[in-house]
Amino acid sequence: MTAPAVAGHSVPVSPTPVALWRRARAVLLVGVIVVAAALVPALVSHPQPGRYADPADPSLDGSRALAALLTRHGVTVSRVDDAQEALAVAGPGTLILVTEASALNRAEAADLAAAPSDRLLVGPVPFLDLLAPGVTPKERGVWSRSRPPECALPEAVRAGSAYMGGTSFTAPAGATGCYPAPGGAPTLVRSTSGGRTVTVVGDGAYLTNLRLAEDGNAALALGLAGARPRVAWIVAPDEPDEVAEPGGPGAPDAPDAPDGDRTLSDLIPDAVPWAVAQLVVAVAVVALWRGRRLGPVVVERLPVVVRAAETVEGRGRLYRARQARDRAALALRAATAERLRTRLGLARGAPPEEVAAAAAARIGADPAHVRETLCGPVPPDDAALVALAGHLDTLERQVGHS
Amino acid sequence: MALTGRAGLLAALGAVVVLLAPRPGLAMAGVALALTALVLADLTLAGSVRGLRLYRDGDRLVRLGESVAIGLVVENPGSRRVRGVLRDAWPPSAGAGPRRLSLDVPSGERRRLVTTLTPTRRGDREAVAVTVRALGPLGVAARQGTHHVPWSVRVLPPFLSRKHLPSRLARLRELDGRHPALVRGQGTEFDSLREYVVGDDVRSIDWRASGRRGDVVVRTWRPERDRRVLIVLDTGRTSAGRVGTAPFPLSGASAGPRGANGTGGVDGGGGRDGAAGWPRLDWSMDAALLLAALASRAGDRVDVLAYDRAVRAWLSGAARTELLSSLVNVLAPIEPELVEADAPGMVAAVLARARRRCLVVLLTDLSPSAVEEGLLPVLPRLSARHLVLVASVADPRVAAMASGRDTAGQVYDAAAAERLRGERRRITSLLRRHGVEVVDALPDDIAPALADAYLALKAAGRL
Repeated sequence: MTAPAVAGHSVPVSPTPVALWRRARAVLLVGVIVVAAALVPALVSHPQPGRYADPADPSLDGSRALAALLTRHGVTVSRVDDAQEALAVAGPGTLILVTEASALNRAEAADLAAAPSDRLLVGPVPFLDLLAPGVTPKERGVWSRSRPPECALPEAVRAGSAYMGGTSFTAPAGATGCYPAPGGAPTLVRSTSGGRTVTVVGDGAYLTNLRLAEDGNAALALGLAGARPRVAWIVAPDEPDEVAEPGGPGAPDAPDAPDGDRTLSDLIPDAVPWAVAQLVVAVAVVALWRGRRLGPVVVERLPVVVRAAETVEGRGRLYRARQARDRAALALRAATAERLRTRLGLARGAPPEEVAAAAAARIGADPAHVRETLCGPVPPDDAALVALAGHLDTLERQVGHS
Repeated sequence: MALTGRAGLLAALGAVVVLLAPRPGLAMAGVALALTALVLADLTLAGSVRGLRLYRDGDRLVRLGESVAIGLVVENPGSRRVRGVLRDAWPPSAGAGPRRLSLDVPSGERRRLVTTLTPTRRGDREAVAVTVRALGPLGVAARQGTHHVPWSVRVLPPFLSRKHLPSRLARLRELDGRHPALVRGQGTEFDSLREYVVGDDVRSIDWRASGRRGDVVVRTWRPERDRRVLIVLDTGRTSAGRVGTAPFPLSGASAGPRGANGTGGVDGGGGRDGAAGWPRLDWSMDAALLLAALASRAGDRVDVLAYDRAVRAWLSGAARTELLSSLVNVLAPIEPELVEADAPGMVAAVLARARRRCLVVLLTDLSPSAVEEGLLPVLPRLSARHLVLVASVADPRVAAMASGRDTAGQVYDAAAAERLRGERRRITSLLRRHGVEVVDALPDDIAPALADAYLALKAAGRL
């Protein structure tokens, strides 16, 4: 207004790099601690998944407890990776233990079947037709639970009830079936094939460290697996090198793929993915450019914006919603009567009938009609209400002009 | 720091380089390295923002509806040129423009930039921050920093009703005449004695004075002066309600609560700028300013009190010449408080401040519930000692609703409006029965109506 008043000079308020570092270091420290806490146990421990029914595995899925029991009972446990090794140790005094984890192909299964050893097949073992001729799976997905033996098999009788289920079988003639599923089909079948005793069990859970201590599981496992002085236990190979299925998404670089089989990704030059990555970088740079605000967001305490007429509008809507013609008509008539009172020079408290009479006399209209307009009944519908409002206006105008 | 569009463009061109290069992976790493090097070089070579010194100059007062230019001097004591953009951030309702200014200050020099404020509502507006983005010589990256350069501008009430002042002053002059009257009557007080001249009313001869002087002497009279007027502004919740049409575009409802407007206007109303209306308080202030200007010219003392549950403003004993400027200054920062006004407290505050009899002008709303529960019970205490005038801003929207006849919905609205008007009439008559004067006028008429009521009271000698 007057001489330019120069205020004290400015104060920089942006944080300095040092201040930024000071502010961020606690957060960074916490972040580093969190990441370290997540990574270090993962790096230090090597949480291999349990190897199912592996005599060397101490996890809940493994069967190290059973192997230890067998060893204590004088049974030699040979842990073998595949059928060839098993055949190397197989003999009349050997029991070959095959579980669903054992990786066999058909030829190996046939070789095993030809070996002069007893066989114990646990779980859904493939090539059951070769390994246990005559035993066929009847129903899969039988609920595994503690079941009574209900047969004369000595091992089963000794063990009593055990954790059985998985698959039920149709036993061949002369075979013994134990631990029947609800349908009556056994989940353990002992048969003889070519002079070898073959035992098929629907579920291998009773062998695992998890279940071994329950029921008669341990006794049954000992009875079945310790029947011979030596067990050739075929486990899953160390490196489960899954064979690539033909036509699957494996085998990325088929070197001699004929021209017709080249996919779209083979046709794209090598530089294109890199260029796309560079474009992503460019988008990020543009995002940084556009995202950087020029100064802080300014906040302001805004005044409340309320129209003073809102309460009246609300009351009008309420009248409409409830179809309150009685109140609406009353308000309109009272307002008109009030104005007419002033105009006709009547007292403030004059009743509406008196106003009607005076107004009718003034304009020379039918007193009954004026009276009905000013203090008649409640209009029966909305149209009558609109009409009443019109009549009141007309009456007021006529009195005004008289 | 900040990047620029050039950095983005370079990165995008890098994609072409990567596409055509024989070793794409290496090329990508090279592009990234080159870009980083350019950005770092630019940041290093850009002028220092932190070292800048900024000063402001300009006005500290502006009337609502007018613009004010605020100068911003940027001094660069650093060794490198500062080139880039500057944003002078003010609150949205300060209406600051332009949004960003270009800046080019060579080393050791200073430049003056101008920000124009066109405030959209009353009150104090504080400058928030000045942000400078100094580009490097390559234009790839920029240093950015914010300075706090304090300045505040007080936005005064516009005093729109000053256009009514000349006509009311003319009425006032008629009233007091400049020439003393011989007629004694209500609203006059003794002025002086003078010699009788032919034509004077013989009834005005002062025989005692004539006896003393040995000459025929008449008494002259003039309208009473040096009365007290106390204007009380109710700043409670009812004063926040918006009525009428705001006289300035976007007044009060600056950009932000646009959505709220839409819900308010049922039929029409939502489209125009300022359709949200102007708070009752602002209309009341306008009327108070006109009344204060008029009363101070009429030789009365004017005090102003703003009250809701506490004293928001109190102006007393201002010199006649200074009254209006100090009044707008005191009223400018007052905002409606969203609380029910405390009528007993208000009456107590008035009684504590006004020892002698005065005209208490109470600018409030005649809303039935607030008046019946708050004001009416305590009014006798006030009207026993003072002359009370209650002025209220009526809502033109209610009047418009009362004349709606086209559809059933409009007739229901009209009934609701008539009901409210009936209540207001009832309150008015109740107040009049207490010996209180009532002025109930539409927003555009409230100031002249209040001035006329004051003149009528003065003419009737009721002050």
